[in-house]
Amino acid sequence: MELAAQLLINTLQIGVVYVLFSLGLTIIFGVMKIVNFAHGEFFAVAALLMAVLVNTAADEFGLPLWVGYAGGFVGAVIAVLVLGLIVYRPAFERYLRDLVGSFILSVGLLLLLQGILLEVFGGVPRVVPRMGDNTISILGGRITELRLAVSLIALAIMLLAYLLIQRTRLGMALRAMSEDHEAAMLQGIRYRRIALYGFLIGSVLAATAGALIAPLTAITPAIGGDYLVKAFIIVIVGGLGSITGAISAGFLIALIESIGGFFLDPSLTTVALFMLVIIFLVLRPQGIMGHAEK
Amino acid sequence: MPRNSVGMLVAALAALAVLGYTRFGAGDFGASVIMLICVNALAAASLRFVMLVGELNVATAAFYGIGAYVSAIATVWYGLPLPVALIAAGLAGALVSVLFGYVTLRTKGAYFLLVSFAFAEVARLVFTRIDAIGANSGMTGIFPAEPLALWYPTITVVVAMALLAGLYGLERSTLGTVFRAIQNNDSVVQSVGLNVLVVKILCLAVASFVAGVGGALHAHANNVISPGDFSFLVAVFALAYVKIGGEGHILGAVMGAVFLTVLGQYLISLGAQEAIFFGGALVLAMLILPDGLYGIAERLTRPLLRALDRTPPEDSVKRSTAA
Repeated sequence: MELAAQLLINTLQIGVVYVLFSLGLTIIFGVMKIVNFAHGEFFAVAALLMAVLVNTAADEFGLPLWVGYAGGFVGAVIAVLVLGLIVYRPAFERYLRDLVGSFILSVGLLLLLQGILLEVFGGVPRVVPRMGDNTISILGGRITELRLAVSLIALAIMLLAYLLIQRTRLGMALRAMSEDHEAAMLQGIRYRRIALYGFLIGSVLAATAGALIAPLTAITPAIGGDYLVKAFIIVIVGGLGSITGAISAGFLIALIESIGGFFLDPSLTTVALFMLVIIFLVLRPQGIMGHAEK
Repeated sequence: MPRNSVGMLVAALAALAVLGYTRFGAGDFGASVIMLICVNALAAASLRFVMLVGELNVATAAFYGIGAYVSAIATVWYGLPLPVALIAAGLAGALVSVLFGYVTLRTKGAYFLLVSFAFAEVARLVFTRIDAIGANSGMTGIFPAEPLALWYPTITVVVAMALLAGLYGLERSTLGTVFRAIQNNDSVVQSVGLNVLVVKILCLAVASFVAGVGGALHAHANNVISPGDFSFLVAVFALAYVKIGGEGHILGAVMGAVFLTVLGQYLISLGAQEAIFFGGALVLAMLILPDGLYGIAERLTRPLLRALDRTPPEDSVKRSTAA
């Protein structure tokens, strides 16, 4: 029982970050029909900025830690928003619905950003000063206050994103666009504008995931890569472009990983996850919720 | 076709010149750069070959790595002669690709792209986990067996050229036409009674044979391999060669490999970061050079060729893998 509770708590912690990250990827795919390989770099930018800002606020200005956390979060998200705008207009907008072109472009961007981050921030792992280190026990499973708070905030953001997609006019436009962009345009939805919003929402979701993971782990400019492979597995299992698919597959993968991580070591778990994807593809090539491209 | 034969003549002359230079003129450094170009051109041509059926195969990196490891095992453990090691590497790449393709080529587009990416990363993880092949530190002492060692750079050039010519021949054959038909509309191909999945697997297997031999040549040129050499970046760099050279013709892949390898060697010797260099090159190519160097070369030489050849130019239908 205690083990089960602990594994579920671990699943929640890993899962919320995976879900935020993959939700961004899947929303961008939905509206733009591109896979953004630079998604992990947006995540890394946010995590690195969070680490720098929290440390600066504490060391240079002597502000209380929670102010640094809040400021760092907002700063990281705004920075990624700006970065998203910078790369969207001249670059991504020209490769809407072009899988090959956008792949090359985003991989180029991935390398370029990774190189720049390494130049700017250096390769030494950064750590955010901790707060909320007390451990709480839930049904026998243990979690620190900080981790619990991060998980709850991530859950709230996830819920907001879900409501935004399912309940608002913008969300309806985004969904219409990913269903059939020509029909959506005939309804008077402006494709380019909505694609931009979709791209920015997706990028901000990656940024929130990055800023939230920052206090929990050591951060290097290469941090985006690990999450990218996991996110790809998640969107293949959940179905590209599917919101509910990304959420359910995100938690499923997190569950498998936390159980697997308990008995195996992490890199073997990734191999096992891939085997699962292969089996999954044989049985159901269109994903849990998605439709395979015809 | 006269236009085509002029191009082929130029390519053949260039090939002979490179061959002679590699054997008699180049020092050790020159030979190592030429070998690097050959190996990179093979990876690029392998990636491009699968693009003929309309798929981006990031798993090229995995087959390249498998080829490198298999040939290293053949040479270091069993002391087999170089030709055997090369063929074993190619066959291993092709065999694994058939298994991989049988499952994954049912998907296409974005799904295949993501699965092949995941496969490339998982293959690298697997290399790091097998202690027998050196786990994280990889394998060392991969030298071509003695009678051929002196000739190794020449052999590399000859093998690379033979494989490139083979790929070009297949592309021009009826099979190549079927590949391109699948890229354009696979339902039509299916409707005339061809098994699309089998044809795609065949295409992947041929490309992966080439990637495997490329990996083997890399292993014997470097003498040392480690899992880090075979991350998905192998495929990304290959894509950079294809894209910057121009994807319309196999010579584009070769030109891209020559251009970027030489430029990259120079800039990295000045201390530039490999990631920034290749990333910047890719982004720039997408923004300003959509047809690549081959496209530019074609545009520049068109008036000249037209003067040589009075027949009306054939339709230069742009072959793009864009859906």
